[in-house]
Amino acid sequence: MTHVTLEQLVKVYAGSTKPAVNDFSLDIPSGKLIAFLGPSGCGKTTTLKMIAGLIRPSAGKITFDGDDILPIPTEKRGAVMVFQNYLLFPYMSVGDNVGFGLKMRGVDKRIIAQKVHEMLDLVKLPDIAKRRPAQLSGGQQQRVALARALITEPRVLLLDEPLSNLDAHLRDEMRELILTIQRKLKITTIFVTHDQEEAVLLADQVALIFDGVLQQYAEPAEFYQRPTSERAARFFGGVNFLPAKRDQNTVGTAVGTFRFTAPCIEQAPSGDVTLTIRPEQIRLAEAPEENTVIGRVRERIYVGTYTRYKITLGEHEIEAIRSADLPGSINEGDEINVTLPSDRIWVVPNAR
Amino acid sequence: MTTTDMEKTAPDSRARMATLFRYAALILLLVGLVLPFAAFIINSFAFRWFYPQLIPNEWSMDAWNSVLDDDLFNALQNSIVIALTVTITSLIIGLPAARALGLYQFRGKRVVEFLILAPTIVPGIAVAMGLNINFLRWNLAGEVLGVALVHLVPVMPYVVLTLSGVFANYNPEFEEQARTLGAGFFSTFRHVTLPAIFPGLVVAGLFAFLVSWGQYILTFLIGQGRVITMPVLLFTTIPGGRNPNIAAMSLVFIAPAVLILILTSRYLSGESNTVGGFGQL
Amino acid sequence: MSWERWRIPVMLAPTMAVIIFLFIGGLLYGLLQSLGWQPRIGNFDLSLDAYVNIMTSERYAGQFWSGLALTIWVSFASTFFSAVFAIIGALLIRSTALGKRISTFLFQLNLPIPHVVAAIGILFLFSQSGLLSRIGAETGVIGSPSDFPIVVRDRLGIGIILAYIWKEIPFIGVIVLAILQSLGEDYEDIAATLGANRWQRFRFVVLPLIMPGLLSASIIVFTFTFGSYEVPAILGVRSVRMLPVMSLDFFRNPDLNARTEGMAMSMIIAFFALIMVLIYMWISRRSVRES
Repeated sequence: MTHVTLEQLVKVYAGSTKPAVNDFSLDIPSGKLIAFLGPSGCGKTTTLKMIAGLIRPSAGKITFDGDDILPIPTEKRGAVMVFQNYLLFPYMSVGDNVGFGLKMRGVDKRIIAQKVHEMLDLVKLPDIAKRRPAQLSGGQQQRVALARALITEPRVLLLDEPLSNLDAHLRDEMRELILTIQRKLKITTIFVTHDQEEAVLLADQVALIFDGVLQQYAEPAEFYQRPTSERAARFFGGVNFLPAKRDQNTVGTAVGTFRFTAPCIEQAPSGDVTLTIRPEQIRLAEAPEENTVIGRVRERIYVGTYTRYKITLGEHEIEAIRSADLPGSINEGDEINVTLPSDRIWVVPNAR
Repeated sequence: MTTTDMEKTAPDSRARMATLFRYAALILLLVGLVLPFAAFIINSFAFRWFYPQLIPNEWSMDAWNSVLDDDLFNALQNSIVIALTVTITSLIIGLPAARALGLYQFRGKRVVEFLILAPTIVPGIAVAMGLNINFLRWNLAGEVLGVALVHLVPVMPYVVLTLSGVFANYNPEFEEQARTLGAGFFSTFRHVTLPAIFPGLVVAGLFAFLVSWGQYILTFLIGQGRVITMPVLLFTTIPGGRNPNIAAMSLVFIAPAVLILILTSRYLSGESNTVGGFGQL
Repeated sequence: MSWERWRIPVMLAPTMAVIIFLFIGGLLYGLLQSLGWQPRIGNFDLSLDAYVNIMTSERYAGQFWSGLALTIWVSFASTFFSAVFAIIGALLIRSTALGKRISTFLFQLNLPIPHVVAAIGILFLFSQSGLLSRIGAETGVIGSPSDFPIVVRDRLGIGIILAYIWKEIPFIGVIVLAILQSLGEDYEDIAATLGANRWQRFRFVVLPLIMPGLLSASIIVFTFTFGSYEVPAILGVRSVRMLPVMSLDFFRNPDLNARTEGMAMSMIIAFFALIMVLIYMWISRRSVRES
């Protein structure tokens, strides 16, 4: 339950001229679950470590509940980090690992034992306190690492790629667990991931970071409906981009002019822009209406529950997805109606 | 992503003080470790170095001139011949054993490892005293060959340990691949095995050389004072010897060792069992 | 088929021949001699006389027990202080941003220096007219050589301990440094976020992590200093000798009976060392199991 702000954070590593993190400002409301999303090397882990106090920012400010915490050393910040590879201390039992933070604070042994018990219950691993970390599976180690972090009742919980080392089925379990615990304890939590799906599934808000610069900070759905750049759209699976010119409610392209009625339209740029639409929102082979153009099916790829089509529109090509249940068959070479619904298309600034 | 302590968060002035303190401590420690070398060099060129002069007023090459005589060249020659013999022999007989230990599991492996490790910890003095009479009887005592033979005892563990570490990370399927492509036993060894293990072989060989090079007590007990190597010569010079002469002789003695360190310092930071080779010097 | 079966024994044979004939053979023959076995003069009876003699007789007991005490003290002090300085050195080098390569090189510089030379170096540095004494005189801390404390050829073995510390700091230090570098600093970072301060991170994280390597390196140093001849021979005093020096002195005594006592003494040293090997293997096996 801590309100965290990052103000114009900059980190330039010694011996490097390019900042790893640049002018990074973010407001993280108390008790929220936030994702730092971006490709590897984008500065997200550096930012996480700056919040933890493990790396000192070159410039900028970090506050918890309005207090500047940069002068406070790591061990007194109450920002606990859980590393990607768990890093349970191999020479300690699971119980001693979980109790570590309390032992460092000089808490009475019996109280530690009791708290360890509670924490292991919380992460649904009762009765393993006596085991060694090496005897646990990856998923179990991850939960122990979480318990070890939570026992200190941190002001901020920092998770570095919490799901990436787990098998697919363990991921779902772990995701549920993190969500449940976070909702229950209401700890302000920041996690780092390179996987947009993970970010979307877990986070209240996603901070998309490229090259050390914050690109977009919004709720997950925004990245699908209203990306702020072509790169952001591509990172979330966008594939269709057409050069265009926007004038109020119309967007003109080489394949035709489309009406543009998306919500929050005032956020969209004007002038020379790029039109984008998600493949699953394009409608194929339906009765013509507004925003319908003719396209030729170049390739048809059957993927089981849906079919993916590559469609030529003049000099451009777009991709569309259509549920396999829909009636009517579309074959390669067919000329069909392609409808781009006016409330589904979006525009982003031209990428240079 | 590595972070140095300078990048760690802490109040500025205190962090700077701590960093300063750490550098001071490190420099003090390194000076302590390097100071004896300075003492050797100054001593070897000193001429009438009266107390309490920190640096001699007069320098001379006297010590070097008087030390570089036939006795020293004889001792150097003996040391080199013995160390080279030991190096080559130990590599040849240690290579198959290292391969067996690095690549295969077999019954009694633990016992074999224990036996090969034991000479690194059991003092040479006990072994050499026991061998002394037998070597006398076999006419190996007082002979270069006998000394080289007994040097194998402290050398073998390091050669085998270093090379078995190499083989532990070696994939023998490359050899099988070569055999299916028509290479015979020797050309497989020459073109596949040897290039793969060559760096390890060099390191093991340098260790073998150094361990033999520094050996005093085994040489003394088996050589019967008749095989004069560098350490034996140095030992006989110490009582009553002039400091500059002792210093110059010591420098000649350690020159190859320092040279080898410079050549291998790259390899040292990693493997701890490689570093273990220095435990016997 | 038969080749397959004999392959490993054949590969091991040459090395094992050296170990069995020269190492074990030497030890066994030494043991037999220490028990009074002298086939050349027709004495095949085994007895513990030499051992009893060393430990109880008026002639030997005094110097044996004082020598043993000195040996244990020197080995213990050398190992302890080398380990402490080695850890400090390794930690300092790890946290150094500037001049890391040159520091590491200087830290390792005396690794290949033979112990004979290490002893001479300590002589040059710490004798009453040595370099340190001159530095003291130059800076006005002492007035004359006799003001400089006697630390070489002293009864407490300080000079011997100094030589061993000088020699073994890099040996243990490089092993510790290698462990530290392979571990990285993540464990310490985690501990810091969990509330461990600088000292607690060392005590509860770094120390336990380096302990297996540190222990085995320390055992090698301890047994080496226990059984090594060169350094105490150069830097020790005649009145109280460390066991290896005493053992060799007896062995070279023209009196053949003393020779048996010398053998017995070297067997005591060897026996002690073998126990250390067992502890070493036990520790390394345990640490392998845990990692």
